Amino acid sequence: MTTGLTRQFPGGVGLDSLSIDVAPGEVLALLGPNGAGKTTTVRLLNGVLAPDAGSATVLGLDPVTAGDELRARTGVLTEHAGLDDRLTARENLRYAAMVRNLRGPAIESRIEELLHRFGMTERADRLVRGASTGQRKRLGLARALLHDPDVLFLDEPTSGLDPTATRDVVELIGSLASEHGRTIVLATHFLGEAGRLADRMAVLDRGSLIAFGRPDDLAAELWDGMECDLDLGGSPSAAAIDAANAVSGVRDTTPHARGITIRVSTPDVVAGVVRSLVAHQVDVHAAVPRPPTLEDVYFEIEARRALETPTTTPPPTGPPAPPPMRKRVRT
Amino acid sequence: MSRQRTDWVAVRGVVGKDLRAVRRSKSVVIPMLAVPVLLMIVLPAVIGLSARATEGVGVDRLLTSIPGDLAEPILSLPEREQLIVLVNGYLLAPLFLIVPLMVSAVLAADAFAGEKERKTLESLLHSPIRARDLFVAKFLTAFLPAVAVSWLGFVAFAIVTNTIAWPVMHRMFVPTKLWMVMILWVAPAVATLGLSVMVRVSARTSTSQEANQLGGAVILPLIFLAVGQSTGLLLVDTPVAIAIGAVIWAVALVLLRGGVKRFTRDALVAQV
Ligand SMILES: Nc1ncnc2c1ncn2[C@@H]1O[C@H](COP(=O)(O)OP(=O)(O)O)[C@@H](O)[C@H]1O
Ligand SMILES: [Mg+2]
Repeated sequence: MTTGLTRQFPGGVGLDSLSIDVAPGEVLALLGPNGAGKTTTVRLLNGVLAPDAGSATVLGLDPVTAGDELRARTGVLTEHAGLDDRLTARENLRYAAMVRNLRGPAIESRIEELLHRFGMTERADRLVRGASTGQRKRLGLARALLHDPDVLFLDEPTSGLDPTATRDVVELIGSLASEHGRTIVLATHFLGEAGRLADRMAVLDRGSLIAFGRPDDLAAELWDGMECDLDLGGSPSAAAIDAANAVSGVRDTTPHARGITIRVSTPDVVAGVVRSLVAHQVDVHAAVPRPPTLEDVYFEIEARRALETPTTTPPPTGPPAPPPMRKRVRT
Repeated sequence: MSRQRTDWVAVRGVVGKDLRAVRRSKSVVIPMLAVPVLLMIVLPAVIGLSARATEGVGVDRLLTSIPGDLAEPILSLPEREQLIVLVNGYLLAPLFLIVPLMVSAVLAADAFAGEKERKTLESLLHSPIRARDLFVAKFLTAFLPAVAVSWLGFVAFAIVTNTIAWPVMHRMFVPTKLWMVMILWVAPAVATLGLSVMVRVSARTSTSQEANQLGGAVILPLIFLAVGQSTGLLLVDTPVAIAIGAVIWAVALVLLRGGVKRFTRDALVAQV
């Protein structure tokens, strides 16, 4: 989908040599802190910004040369939902439809349907001015879906939402993702929603791609084996810890208030550990595997990156900074 | 450059939305109506009424400072007609240009800078509307109302002036040839100038208020200069008005061309 996509701004690099691909029907999460380059990526992919270097192909189209054609088939929920406060919810949708050259009874009923689906029927004829952030995001989503786009870009769809509104919006996005093979690119700094929705994640930091892949695959690269939590009904004895450590395939044990967390090379090692504990008269109440969450993966990536890159800036008299690292990750 | 056809549905969508939204914001509508009412109705009415009340106010002293051939048509009139013809026939004509200028500048600021201020620009740029069509739409959003308000204002002015001056004049003396040139030729030029200045100014500001301030700082001195010069000396007769109009059109179109060239998604979103 992209190769070496780069965009600089007067203040510095917005995005450096991004190379990623997205399969049709996939949900890709663009993860990263503020200023990572998520919005810049969305703008480049939808042909709103032009790259300084590199190229992209979206739906088989080049965003630079066929931007208008491409944008007719993509929908975007921007960071600020971008609704006109001085219009009603319905007027905002009608306006967006006309800008897309959509008129007539078909689009009117589509608007009606979307207002209903997004719980905005009640508010349809009131000015957007008084709407809550959650209502705005939902209306923004409805607008992004007016023309039933093949690719949906969602930029921070849950920022500024309370927990209930967040859950509603995440559920809506989940239902959109399962609709007829629509591709979704979800830019966010919230790991929770990315974990719930994304098939793959691209982690960005200061314009550079630092990881790209399925959370499971990334976890496998980061850690050896899997974690399992053993509930022993209380603090483990030294003998119990030794018994667990003695089993071959156990990499690591961490005692805690209700038992031990073990790291094992393969899942079947867990059974051996349980047998060994029972043989030592230690009751095992439960053995719960703990596959790493997207959150675990993300923080591990961040932590490792912090170790790699020195935090001190070179003195101004020093040699010029080395050229930015070029990353190319493909799956 | 591809010469594709304009998407009029999209253009109408944008113009319709902008005008509907503007109608709902009092802070934009009120000054836009107050100035024309003052200039085109209140002022000529006051002049007309005072001309009726007084016996020939001495305008000769004013007229002696004016080149003879320009003052001629006024001095040859009966004395009581002189004030009203001087003011409503000549002096108000250049002053009237404030109307198209202001309306187009205020609307252009709302259309261009306002879109950024309300954070609606980015989602608009993510739609398939061509940048040029968007520019056309924004142009029309400012230009059409400016010309419409000017023309309606002029009709109101003509009715008020002729009605009030009837007991003095006993004839319809507005529209004059000078007024026709102003209305049909100079006013649209001035509207285009106002909005093309605003297009350029809006690229550098993030709120419509800032745009109005900066735009005002650029436009107003020019206006006062022009109005002061022309009314003070009564230099504006019909051929001069035609020439002034041509110059304004030229400047406005050059500015506008530059504005269109810079009106690309990339440039616009980099300002957001
Ligand atoms: N229009 C712009 N002008 C200058 N710098 C910009 C502009 N847009 C983005 N940047 C810079 O590019 C970097 C990435 O920004 P952005 O893509 O908005 O990040 P994110 O969406 O991940 O928070 C930031 O350092 C930001 O300051
Ligand atoms: Mg962003």
